[in-house]
Order: sequence, then structure tokens, then C-alpha cells
Amino acid sequence: MSSALRSASRHASRAQRLIPSSVTSLTPCTPVRCYHSTRATQHVQGATSSWRMNQRMVGTENSLRIANRNLWRKVSSTPRLRGFHASAVSRHMGIDRPAPGTGIKVHFENSDGTPIKTCEANEGDNILAIAHEYDIDLEGACEGSVACSTCHVILDPEIYDILPEPEDDENDMLDMAFGLTDTSRLGCQVNVTKEMDGMKCRLPAATRNMFVDGKKSSH
Amino acid sequence: MSLLFRLLFIFADTSSSIKNCTHKFDQTAEDGRFRFFGNVDVGDTARSVPHALPVPLESIYANYTHVLFATGCTLPTLHASLPPSEYCVPALSLVHWYTQHPNTPPPPALDKVSHVSLIGNGNVSLDVARMLLTNVDVLARYDVPQTVLEVLSRSTVKHVSIIGRRGPLEAAFTMKELREMINLPEASMVPLEPDLLAPPTTELTRQQSRVLQLLQKGSKNTFGTTPKTWSLDFFRSPVGLVPPTPSSPSSQLSLSHTVVDPATQKAVPTGEVSTISTDLVVTSLGFHGEPTVRFYDPGLQHLRTLGGRIVTSNGSLVRNAYASGWASTGAKGVLASTMMNAYDVADTIIADWMDGGENANGNNAEDLLPLGASPELDEVPKEVCEGLREGLVTQYADWKRIDAEEIKRGEMLGKERERMGWSEARAFVVKMP
Repeated sequence: MSSALRSASRHASRAQRLIPSSVTSLTPCTPVRCYHSTRATQHVQGATSSWRMNQRMVGTENSLRIANRNLWRKVSSTPRLRGFHASAVSRHMGIDRPAPGTGIKVHFENSDGTPIKTCEANEGDNILAIAHEYDIDLEGACEGSVACSTCHVILDPEIYDILPEPEDDENDMLDMAFGLTDTSRLGCQVNVTKEMDGMKCRLPAATRNMFVDGKKSSH
Repeated sequence: MSLLFRLLFIFADTSSSIKNCTHKFDQTAEDGRFRFFGNVDVGDTARSVPHALPVPLESIYANYTHVLFATGCTLPTLHASLPPSEYCVPALSLVHWYTQHPNTPPPPALDKVSHVSLIGNGNVSLDVARMLLTNVDVLARYDVPQTVLEVLSRSTVKHVSIIGRRGPLEAAFTMKELREMINLPEASMVPLEPDLLAPPTTELTRQQSRVLQLLQKGSKNTFGTTPKTWSLDFFRSPVGLVPPTPSSPSSQLSLSHTVVDPATQKAVPTGEVSTISTDLVVTSLGFHGEPTVRFYDPGLQHLRTLGGRIVTSNGSLVRNAYASGWASTGAKGVLASTMMNAYDVADTIIADWMDGGENANGNNAEDLLPLGASPELDEVPKEVCEGLREGLVTQYADWKRIDAEEIKRGEMLGKERERMGWSEARAFVVKMP
């Protein structure tokens, strides 16, 4: 359900639509520091300040709570790509989308092979950045500094084989990835090339409830 | 949503992965519904930060409908045979010293130490070893405080022995940390006995076989070619420490020899005991929660939870109270596992809230906490309000200013960052308009 929250921050513009336009128009959209997309940040800012404004305008506490809850209900009822975790979109490795039909196609799919989305990228973009640009739920906790294993993806053998061998540091992190396979890589270390056009990129199986009391989680 | 934090600001660890996580805090802080209050010590904690403003739990409950404890495991687990003394310190004290943690442990007398024994085979152990074995001029480029660099520059440490009661296959350190040790530019590793590195007949995990391969290769520098050395001393368990005497200027550390019982995977003594001369023993045996806090379980050594929900000692759920991360699961697992756990608990909180606490909280949930039924959304606990007025409590904007100032001061010193202590940071924040 926290997908509701994340969905809200990710699709801030969607949340904003749920707020009466009279409220939104009262809200100055002040740009905030952003590395990538000023437009997107303005939406977030706009949505949240509208929300505050909304609070003040609603008379009683009770109706406020109902209003809030309805807001979340609406947000959460919007379709989700994948019910699992996602963090807010990182704007720190922003890439530009190629003109539709001109880019290298990457087909993201769930661990069970269900297609998620087909994305188009430019030569040299990495899988993590592509995933974030297209709102695919791939983590990247260390933001591509090869200090965690959260952007683990599984490739087809023929794609895996054309890539340069992983460096030691990437292998060290893959040691700790959940659901490691022989064709696992860290998304942040895989830069797409024209050769890879049409590649599949599978997300590993979700690993929830991994804490069993008394049992040490494997590193 | 308010985040109340015992330290002054978001802690930037020496490891790059944690630093990068601070970007995520920035994104969260941009949300107008989120507020950050630093230097606030909530509940009956160990009061490890002297200047932090104590706020009773009751004040928190009154102002919020839901409470999440993400308080971690902050106390070091000690070794029964090695009580802290002048000659034996927990690794956490050293880590707090070299990261300028506000609980200000005394600096170690490294100018009187030549041999260090680190007890424990985890990442913290290797982090301490790396600090002691790295040239101070290299450390000076990062965020190590000047006062710490000054002590390290007078260090006479020649050898660091990393002692573990089990073998290389059971060691908890990760490849990344081990590789950094192996690649230390000014230190070399004592080669391991070949029989320790012989692959066993049992099937190894990918990490285990890679650890063995790396250890077989040994350190980048050949042993004996460097002024400083280190060793991994497996299958040894400390049984006692005899302090130095006039005739014996070093402490004597007795080590019981052990083997791993294949059935239980536990270390069992062989009966043999040997003694090594050492000047400083550092215990690095994990962490536990603070026993004085509410809902602490002495058996588990962390908060008592079930699926992220707080549970009383008689097993009933406490309505609208949650814990995540190490506070909830104990000190285990790397960043990815703590993160997954956090997402899970966030899901749980929202699910409970969406169904009005009817289903998920169960029928036997207790309203133990006088949680706010309908708190004013803009109000914060009165202690926090007063603290803000007095400049005792910091907010996210304060941290951003301190952060920028620390980086600026660091630039002048040719380093990544120069940290400010509490009084300095407070004076800086108060001075700012």
C-alpha cells in the first residue's frame, strides 16, 4: 500500500489533478533545486503546497481527514505497474528520452516474465537510469556508485555475453544481490548499445518478509 | 509526518553508499508535509548524546496518530571475557571517535600502541583496521576530522590482528570491505595457512568461493615489504586479557583455539589455548538495542515486533506503533535488506490506516499508547517547540546550511568536508538569519 504514497510522489501531477483547480491556482509553483527536470519538481512542490492549502480551506478536522483519505484512496486506486517497492524517482542520473521510434528498445519484465514496459534509450545510457526515466520500479539506493546491490537485473544470456565482464567491485556487490543468476548484472553498470536493441531486462523476484526472527539474513 | 532524530543532522558515514542516501533525504525533505527535528532524544534512551534534547514518549504520542521507531541498534555487544578498560575498547567507540560522533569518546592513545587485536570478523572490524593502516595523508582528503588526523599522525601501530572464532567461510565481512583491505597501499597481509584456504567438500556460496580466492591471492603488497602489516587470525576465541606489568609492557591476550561444529555451525573450543602480546584490544561483535527503551525485548535485544508492528511482552499488538530496520530486526543485514524492511513496514502502516485498523491490527490489539486521536497537523510536541525557540533543535534547512559550510571549510583544507562539533554547529545556525 505504500505504493500509494510512492505513487503519489512519483506521479505528483496525477495527485495534483485530484485537488480542485481553485486550490491549485492559489499555489505558487516555486521551482526548487533539481538536477534534471524542473518541470517534475514543480509538480511535486505544487501538489504538496496545494495539499497544505487544502488543509487550511477545509473547515473541520473531521472533513479534513475524510478529504485526505479520499485523496489517498483515489491515488492508490490508479493502476500500478508492479505492486512492489519503489523509491521516489531519482533525478540524479537523469537521461534524455530519444524521439519515439529512434532509440534502443529495452523491454522490462517482471520476475515471472510479465512485460512491464518497453523503453527507448540512447546509446550509452545505463539500465538504472533508463528504468528511473520510465518509472520502472528498480531501486538504486547508492545512485550508481557500486556500493549496493539494489539495481540488480537479470539479462538474457546472449545480451550478457556481449557485455564486458563485470569489474571486481560489481561482482562484490552482486554477491549480496537477492535471487542472483548466472546472467545477473547491476543495472547501473550496464550501458546499452545499438547491438542490444530489443533486449529484455528482467527484474529479480521480490524478496519480501525476508526477516525470519533468529535467522541471520544472508549478506 | 515528523522525523525526530537524536543527532544534529543526517549522519554521513565514511562509506560512500550512505553518503549517496542523503540525496533521498533531500527529496523527502522537499515535501511540505515532512518535517525534520534534529538533536532530539525521544524516550528512555541510553542518553548517549549529552546535548540532545530529551523528549518523553508521551509528548510524541499526543501529537501523532502513528509512531514508527527506526532507532537502530546503537549499543555495542561486549565480550564476556573482555570488559572495556584502558586496554580494551569497543570498536564503536573508535568509530564514534573518528567520525566525531557527539557522544565524544576519548581518543585512543595510538602513540603508545604497536599491536592491535580486533575481535570480530565483520565490516566494522575491517573499517577500524583500515583506518589504523591507512596513511594519514590519504585520510586527510576525506572527511576525517583534523583532531582525529592529528592523533592518527602520531600512531605507532605496526600490526593489526583481526581475530575470529570461526573460519574464512563463516566471516561476516563483505567482499568489498575485504578487497579494500587487500588493496591497502601501505600494508600487507600475513599469508594464511594453506589448509585454511583449501576448498571444503561442501558446496560454497558464490561469496564464500570468491572470499577464498581473494584470500589465496593475498594482499596486493607482499607480506614484509610494508611498514604496517595485518593478519586474519581465524579459529581463535578470546578467553582473557592480562593488563601490562612493569616487566611485560604489553597486555597478554589469551585465545582459545576453536573448530566449527559442522552440525551447528558454531565455534567449539579444542582445549588448546595460546597467548599473544598486544597493546590494544578492540571488540567488534555487533550491536544491540538500548535496554531502557519501551518495548525492548531483553531476549531479542531489540524492539519486540511482529511484521513491523510493536508487540507487548504478553504478545498483543500495540495499535498504531511500528518499528523498522535494525530496531525491529536486530543488527543484521546490509543496506538492501534494511531498505526492503522499511518498505514493508511502510506498506503495513498504510494498510492498517486504510482499513481503519479493523483487520490488520487484529482483535487483540491494545491501545497502550495515548496516541493523539486527532492532533493538529501543524503542531509539534511542546518540548520540540521550545527547543526550536532556544536553538536547541535543528531543522532540515539548518542541516543543509551546516552541510554546505562543512564542505566549504573542507575545501579550504583540501578535503571533502570538515565536520563541526555541536557547539560550533549551534553557534553557526543561530548566527544565520
